[in-house]
Amino acid sequence: MKTLFSFSLLLTLAFGIQAKEIKLLNVSYDPTRELYQEYNDAFAKYWKAKTGDDVVVSQSHGGSGKQAQSVINGLEADVVTLALAYDIDAISAQARLLPVDWSTKLPDHSTPYTSTIVFLVRKGNPRNIQNWDDLVKPGISVVVPNPKTSGGARWAYLAAYAYALETFNHDDAKARDFIRRLYKNVPVLDSGARGATVTFAQRGIGDVLLAWENEAHLALKEFGSDKFDIVTPPLSILAEPPVAVVAKNARRHGTTAVATAYLEYLYSDEGQEIAAKNFYRPRNAVIAAKYAANFTSLKLVTIDQEFGGWANAQATHFADGGVFDQIFQPPN
Amino acid sequence: MSTVPTKLKQLAIATVAGLQFTLPAVAADTSTTPSDNGSGSSASQAAEIEALKQEVQVLAQKVDALEHQQQAPQPAPAAASPAIADLDQKVRILERQREIDQEDATAQAKTRPKISLSQNGFTISSADTNFVANFHGVLQVDSRSFFGNTAIPSGTSGFLLRRARPIFSGTVFQDYDFNFTPEFGGSTVQILDAYLNYHYDPAFQIQAGKFKSPVGLEQLQADVNTSFNERALPSYLLPYRDVGVELHGDLDGGVFSYAAGIFNGSPDYNNTTVNSALSNGKAFVGRVFAQPFKSTSVIPLQGLGVGTGGSYEHDDALASELTPGYVTDGQEKFFSYASTATAAGTHWRISPQGYYYYGPFGLLGEYAISDQKVAGGTVTKGSAIGLENTAWEISGGWVLTGEDAGYNGVTPLHPFDLRNGDWGALQLVARYADLDVDHKAFTDGFANPNTSASEARAWAVGLNWYLNRNFRINTSFSHTDFTGGHGTGATVTARPEDVLFTRIQLGF
Repeated sequence: MKTLFSFSLLLTLAFGIQAKEIKLLNVSYDPTRELYQEYNDAFAKYWKAKTGDDVVVSQSHGGSGKQAQSVINGLEADVVTLALAYDIDAISAQARLLPVDWSTKLPDHSTPYTSTIVFLVRKGNPRNIQNWDDLVKPGISVVVPNPKTSGGARWAYLAAYAYALETFNHDDAKARDFIRRLYKNVPVLDSGARGATVTFAQRGIGDVLLAWENEAHLALKEFGSDKFDIVTPPLSILAEPPVAVVAKNARRHGTTAVATAYLEYLYSDEGQEIAAKNFYRPRNAVIAAKYAANFTSLKLVTIDQEFGGWANAQATHFADGGVFDQIFQPPN
Repeated sequence: MSTVPTKLKQLAIATVAGLQFTLPAVAADTSTTPSDNGSGSSASQAAEIEALKQEVQVLAQKVDALEHQQQAPQPAPAAASPAIADLDQKVRILERQREIDQEDATAQAKTRPKISLSQNGFTISSADTNFVANFHGVLQVDSRSFFGNTAIPSGTSGFLLRRARPIFSGTVFQDYDFNFTPEFGGSTVQILDAYLNYHYDPAFQIQAGKFKSPVGLEQLQADVNTSFNERALPSYLLPYRDVGVELHGDLDGGVFSYAAGIFNGSPDYNNTTVNSALSNGKAFVGRVFAQPFKSTSVIPLQGLGVGTGGSYEHDDALASELTPGYVTDGQEKFFSYASTATAAGTHWRISPQGYYYYGPFGLLGEYAISDQKVAGGTVTKGSAIGLENTAWEISGGWVLTGEDAGYNGVTPLHPFDLRNGDWGALQLVARYADLDVDHKAFTDGFANPNTSASEARAWAVGLNWYLNRNFRINTSFSHTDFTGGHGTGATVTARPEDVLFTRIQLGF
């Protein structure tokens, strides 16, 4: 009997300590593929060392707004790492999959890294594009995605708008006219950042691409630094891509702990290094200093300062009938 | 554009070079020519050399001019280059815009609802098919012609709208099915089916609402697929539609299926259904069915299915829980309980069943026992007597045009179309059935032996013409004879029933 008990105990312990394989789904936006490929490997090693469990993270990428809608429609993301807070707010408001105060769950409003919008120009900058006002000059062809569908495009639009507000002493009418002239120079609107990069870099269209900073660096890496240059304007916007655990999904999958750790680890030294190496600006000051050469200094305005937060910016500029709809005329 | 100056330059250089080589040779030749005649000749040679030198200088100047011309900006090409570049950009933009439009169209097609109209009805579904709405229906227009002595009561010959059912069904959120089927046929309008089904896993589904109680094989067969206009006698001992909830599923692709549920309870043969409970008693109903060779390579046995269904319930002392009567193929009542009789206690049924289909041949058989405690008259509830009524049937068919027969009907290989000379499918069917009422029903005073038969035996033959998957015309002849029930001579059981049926059916 004692032997049987011991054997049973041994079996119980053996099965009890058996490593588990945990699966996570990270629903993200277009340009983060490379970042999370590297980060997922690092986190899996970290989690294995810490708990003995294997964690396999699947990635889903697309336009930020579209990805948010997919989660609302039932895509069972454990975590979302999207381009802007408004999209996660939409998941919270429409599907109630995570609390309204999701942004308070992690440091820095749940934005472990930041980015900005820069100009990718053809090698040698033949059109001498240095600042936002160069984009509105007649004959300049600007490539940027559609802000109605792309998170990065919304940041780009707001960066240009912020420049115009500063330039015209916050005269909103002049700022709108500036934006109208800028989008008059846009020959084609892609639905996402990756598509716009294809338009500019592969299809050879346009003089300048308004791109995420990391996407611009990736284009240099992928297509060759002998073909393009990055121009960082003196002023741009502080883009803060947020992350959040999709609480209800994670709870249902039993992955709340690992999903939370997955996002928390983005703030670790290793997570911040990976972000910096992929040309996202790290929050950690030490890591930021270490990779300072990767990032040109510029004046960064915030959406809260210039536009009163995402909800306000969305309603004013990107909602149906908003400023963008008013100023944009599709090219004939 | 630059090829002309280049060629001119090459020509000039070649000419100059040629002269430079040629002139010394000419000079040498002239100095050694035997025919030369002194100073006059030297003067003319000098003049010739001078002339040639001048020509060389002219040519050199032309070469310089050409070289200069080539190095200088070309007005025409300089003007054309931006225009070409601009044109190139426009072409690229148009091509890219076309790509984007195609991507958008593809993306929109993926999310666009799908609409279809087919033999399965009118269907609208979301692009991911998680949401489906389907409208279909059944319409059966029958005729019944009773034969025999008109002095003896019989059924009424004539046309009737046997079934007229619009069916609304569909799925929401991928896993939740619904069905709503009103019945406008017959003389009353009723809700026939109204249920919800959760089907996350085919092997584990939960269905709740009003639907067919899972017992009888022929009863569970779709109305559009039965071989004859009316089901055979065993179906009248088994529950019909009822309100309840059941767990059901198909395992291994339908090799094994099961259903188990709890329902309000249903009397034997009750063509008019109700939407609420008749009493506090509840019926526990279940059925298992296996097609053991369905997925094997033993083709002759793939269409073999066997199973059994049953129910158990406890009835209160209510007359409404007794059958309103058993009927013939012509839907004439040949047995009914006395008005004083009540259901009083347990009521169980069991029905072994099976079918076999192989090519155009089909066979379906079913046996049913309905055992019910009955009280009334001098029999109190406490001493209620169990009456065991039994029935069985065997029916077979042969599709003359060669199509496969099946539990789910016949699909014509060549739907009726006079333009192509196609006639659809023809099926010959035959059936024999028997229903035997427990003799205690008569000996203990629960039924009147003068007006109710104790046994009915029916045979029928018919011809089914499947014009296509949706449209069917059939005719059949049914003969039923009885044991007992003709004491007064003025009942339907006084002589055999002979009926000719026809039907025009649309089922989609």
